[in-house]
Amino acid sequence: MRFLLNTGRTIKQGSFVERKNNPSYQVAAATILMNPVDMLEIMVEEGNHVRVKSDTGEVVLQVSPDNGLTRGRVFVSLGPYANHIVSPETHGTGMPDFKVTPVSIEPTDDPVLTVSSLMERCGGLPYED
Amino acid sequence: MKIEDVVCSFCGCLCDDLVVEVDGTRVVSVENGCTLANEKFLGDHRLKTPIRRSGNSWTKISYEEAIAETAAILLDADRPLLYGWSGTFGEAQSIGVHLAEILGAVIDNTSTVCHGPSILAIQEVGHPGCTLGQVKNRADVVVYWGANPVDAHPRHMSRYTTYCDGFFRKDAFKERKVIVVDVRETESSNIADEFMKVNPGGDYAVLSALRAIVRGKGDIIPARVEGVSREQLFRVADICKSAKFGAFFFGVGLTMAPGKNKNIRNAIELTEELSRHTKFTISPMRGHWNVYGSNEVFTWISGYPYAVDFARGIAFYNPGETTSVDILKREECDACLVVASDPGAHFPKACAEHLARIPTIQIDPHVNVTTHLAHIQIPVAVAGIDAEGTAYRMDGVPIRTRKLFQGSYPDDLVVLEKLYAIVKEAKG
Repeated sequence: MRFLLNTGRTIKQGSFVERKNNPSYQVAAATILMNPVDMLEIMVEEGNHVRVKSDTGEVVLQVSPDNGLTRGRVFVSLGPYANHIVSPETHGTGMPDFKVTPVSIEPTDDPVLTVSSLMERCGGLPYED
Repeated sequence: MKIEDVVCSFCGCLCDDLVVEVDGTRVVSVENGCTLANEKFLGDHRLKTPIRRSGNSWTKISYEEAIAETAAILLDADRPLLYGWSGTFGEAQSIGVHLAEILGAVIDNTSTVCHGPSILAIQEVGHPGCTLGQVKNRADVVVYWGANPVDAHPRHMSRYTTYCDGFFRKDAFKERKVIVVDVRETESSNIADEFMKVNPGGDYAVLSALRAIVRGKGDIIPARVEGVSREQLFRVADICKSAKFGAFFFGVGLTMAPGKNKNIRNAIELTEELSRHTKFTISPMRGHWNVYGSNEVFTWISGYPYAVDFARGIAFYNPGETTSVDILKREECDACLVVASDPGAHFPKACAEHLARIPTIQIDPHVNVTTHLAHIQIPVAVAGIDAEGTAYRMDGVPIRTRKLFQGSYPDDLVVLEKLYAIVKEAKG
C-alpha cells in the first residue's frame, strides 16, 4: 500500500537525543505511527515490523497506532531511520522534503537494525560506548 | 549546592528559571525543567576521551594528537565543510567562522535543515517579530502553525502563551485564544481552541485563502481549501482580526513542507495583512538551543546567516548550492568538521554515506549517530553545564549561560582556538 510519510520532533526522541546508542532512542526513532484502520488493512499489529520503501531507499521499522493520523498518512520521528528513506533533493532551497515522502509499506519479519548497524550500512564503523 | 536561575541549553526557549543541584561534578536534581531539560542536565553519557578510527577499530588518543590530526586533515582538504554550531555558544561559533575564512571552507549551521527557509523569506519581506516577553504580557490570540510545542518546546505554552498570565493578561488561560494549524493531530492541537487540519503540502493555499479573507476578498474562497472548510477559514480570520495583539509562531511543519520559504513569505504577508486591522507579530519556533546565535554570529562576521562559502576568498552565500545537504549530496566536500550537532542523524542517507567516505571529525560531548561515521571525535564540556558562554533565545535575546561546575573536559572554545592556532601558523 502507498502512504505519505511525515517526519518530525517527538518528546521521546528528544529525551534520548544525547543517548543515541541507547535502545530507547532506537524505539523512539524507529517507530512508524499509522492510522489503526491502515494497520488492519496491511494486517499488522502494534509492535510488528514493516518494511518502508521510498524511491530513495528502504528501512525496517516497528508499527504503533495513532488515531490522530488521517488514513494514508504515516509519521516517523526525525532521525537516522526516517532519513534512510527521505530524498536528499532540496529543489534549490537547501532543505530536503522531510514532510512529504511517498512510501510503500509491507509487513516483514526482518529485525529493526540498531543505530550503529544502520550507520555501518552507510560505510561507518560502529562505536559502542 | 543549589544554583538558581540556571539557563537550559536544550531548545530555543532557553528557559532561565531552572534550579539545579550539583554535587561535585554531578548534577543531582533539576527543578522547573521540562522532560527534555531533565534529560539534558541529569544525563551523564559522555564520550570519555578523544577517539580515532583506525581501520576496523577505534583507538583512544590524546587531545593534542586529535587536534593536530584534525588540523592536518582540514589543511590538506580542497573543499572542507564546517557544519553544526547550534549546540555551542557564540564565542566558539565566532572562532568557527574565522577558521572557515582562513581555510577557504564552507561553514553552515543547523538552520540549513530547520529554519533556513524562514531566513530566506525574511530576507525577501522582512520580519515583523517581537520578544517573547511582549507575547506573554500582551497576546490574546496565539497561532501555532506547523509546530508542536508540547513535544518540541515543552515550556513555550507555560512560560509565554496559553498557561502564562501576563501584565495585560491576568487570566491567560481564559483570555488567550490558541489556534493550531497542522497536518496531523498532536498534543498541541488537542489543547487548542481552534484546530485547523490542513492537507500535507496545502499550507500555502490555506495561508493565501486567509490573506484573501482578511483583505476583504472572501467571496472568492471555495467550499474547501486543502482540507479546511470555508466556514473555519472565516472563523479563524475573524478570531485573528478581532485580536488586540496576535502572535503567530511557526515551526518546521511550514519550512520543510512543499513551498518551504514561500510558505513563510506567505505567512509573513498574512501577518502584515492582519496588522492593517490590529497588531500581529510572527516568529519562528527555533529548535536547536543556540541556532539563532549561529545565524547572528555568522552574519556579524561574514554578512550571511548560514551556508557561507569562503572558497573565493570572500564570503559567498547561495542556499541550494552552498548548503550542507547539497554539498554532501554532490559529494563535493573532501573533509568535514562537525561541531555541536548530529548530521548523521538529521541528514538524508546519501549525506551520511558521504560523511563516512571522507575524513569527518566531530567535536561533541556525546556519542551520537555521526560518531559511527566519523574518523575522529573530540569530547568537550557541555554548554550550559560545565561550559559557559552566550546563546540567543528564539526571539533573538542573547542570554549568558553559566558554568555549573568545573569539569575535566575542555570546552568548544578551547579546542577550536588550539585548532585555529595550528591552521593559522600553517597558513602564515
